[in-house]
Amino acid sequence: MASAYSDEVARLFEAAPGSGRPDGPDWATGEAREPLSATHVRVHLRGTAGRVAAACYEVRGCPHTVAAVALAVAELPGRPVAGLDVDPATLASRIGAPAMKLGRLFVIQDAVHDAALQLGPRRP
Amino acid sequence: MTDSASIYLDYAATTPLDVRVRAAIDACHAEPAGNASSMHAAGRAARARVEAARAEVAALVNAPPAAIVFTSGATEADNLAIPGAARGNPDRGRHVVTLRTEHRAVLDACQRLEREGFAVTRLTPGRDGLVDPAEIGRALRVPTTLVSVMLVNNETGVVQDIPAIAAECRRAGALLHVDAAQAAGRVPLDVVALDADLVSLAAHKIHGPVGVGALYVRREPRPTLVPLSFGGGQEGGLRPGTLPVHQIVGMGAAYALARADAGAEATRLTALRDRLWAALSRLPDTFLNGHPTARAPHILNVSFGGLDGEALLYALGGLAVSSGSACSSASGQPSYVLRALGRDDALAQASLRFSFGRQTTATEIDTAAALVEGAVGRLRALAPR
Repeated sequence: MASAYSDEVARLFEAAPGSGRPDGPDWATGEAREPLSATHVRVHLRGTAGRVAAACYEVRGCPHTVAAVALAVAELPGRPVAGLDVDPATLASRIGAPAMKLGRLFVIQDAVHDAALQLGPRRP
Repeated sequence: MTDSASIYLDYAATTPLDVRVRAAIDACHAEPAGNASSMHAAGRAARARVEAARAEVAALVNAPPAAIVFTSGATEADNLAIPGAARGNPDRGRHVVTLRTEHRAVLDACQRLEREGFAVTRLTPGRDGLVDPAEIGRALRVPTTLVSVMLVNNETGVVQDIPAIAAECRRAGALLHVDAAQAAGRVPLDVVALDADLVSLAAHKIHGPVGVGALYVRREPRPTLVPLSFGGGQEGGLRPGTLPVHQIVGMGAAYALARADAGAEATRLTALRDRLWAALSRLPDTFLNGHPTARAPHILNVSFGGLDGEALLYALGGLAVSSGSACSSASGQPSYVLRALGRDDALAQASLRFSFGRQTTATEIDTAAALVEGAVGRLRALAPR
């Protein structure tokens, strides 16, 4: 089983850096699910001057999904909220996820889109 | 991940070769080479070893030795039994009845028959995994060649009421095949009491070698079977090919050991199984899969709400258990067995099968319980609430 995962997946799954729930009122939350695998990703964003100031996430998913969302969310702060996006194929490539897992990584993209949408009207 | 590589709780997948079985195999290898079909002294000696092993296998299941046909394993036995009986008994109709929770070896054999024009009825058991024998009886209104129901389910450990199912088959004139790969040496297995016509057996599930199994074929009345392969008269023409004497000797040794300690071992494994469930059932949102009492002593299947099964398996590190998630395979589907029992995709996917064997200890059970509790807690903390 362990050989199915890259060292990067192992590291990110073990530590899950950036995971957690927001601790204040200025956060926007987006989420997405994939029913068959029961993957569920929730992304929380706080914005300042049209940019992501802080981000965290909650995740229920396979090790690849956990690793990918940790990687994606870590790189959101500082980016413009408008057009905020993550690329599932790039994430998959960076963590060595097999093609069959790509569908789950789209859940991360959907959650990021949803969070940005929620944040946008609050912090234009 | 916690380093728990030394804890093996996947005995339903395969078991370590017992040192006494290995010794029997080694002793066999040390003998002069002899084809068990040859008439010279070495051949006769090989034949004697095969027949001694056949007698041991037969003894565990209360069958006459002549009713035991050696195969490469339970999968081949299932395939010899199901397509073999279906093709060999055209006078009994062209209908096969089975359960949705059967092993792939049975389901895929039935699917193959479907492509040959047979009708296949796949019954869904109750949420506890048990099928009502009367439901099988109702399915037998159509003239039926064969019913195939496993004795012990390989995922949940649920034990079916085979004698009651057999009674339904007798009334309808249908043959009964029982996959007993998980049953031999774990639960009482008496082919006379089961009243089965065909019973599939494996060696490696009870500390014997991989690559050998057997099919019990009732002697009287003896069902007609069409063999899967051709080319020799071995095993009554049902399984031609030179007999792998050392593997058969290993199977015989494993079955002899199982017969010697069956009752005590079942009691011990039941206590271990219940000890683990007692620990795990304290976790919230945790569910036992399968009937609470009609189940084998060596299998415990549990679903954990609110987490991902593949992640749980990974978080458990080297703790060797099986997951209800097939997500590391190409299918990506949750366990079809648990889905048939009514578990939703999420719970079917987030399940673990723990299975126990001769080397399992109470200390291992306690360590495994602690590891699972830690991993479940961590993954639930990560998950959206």
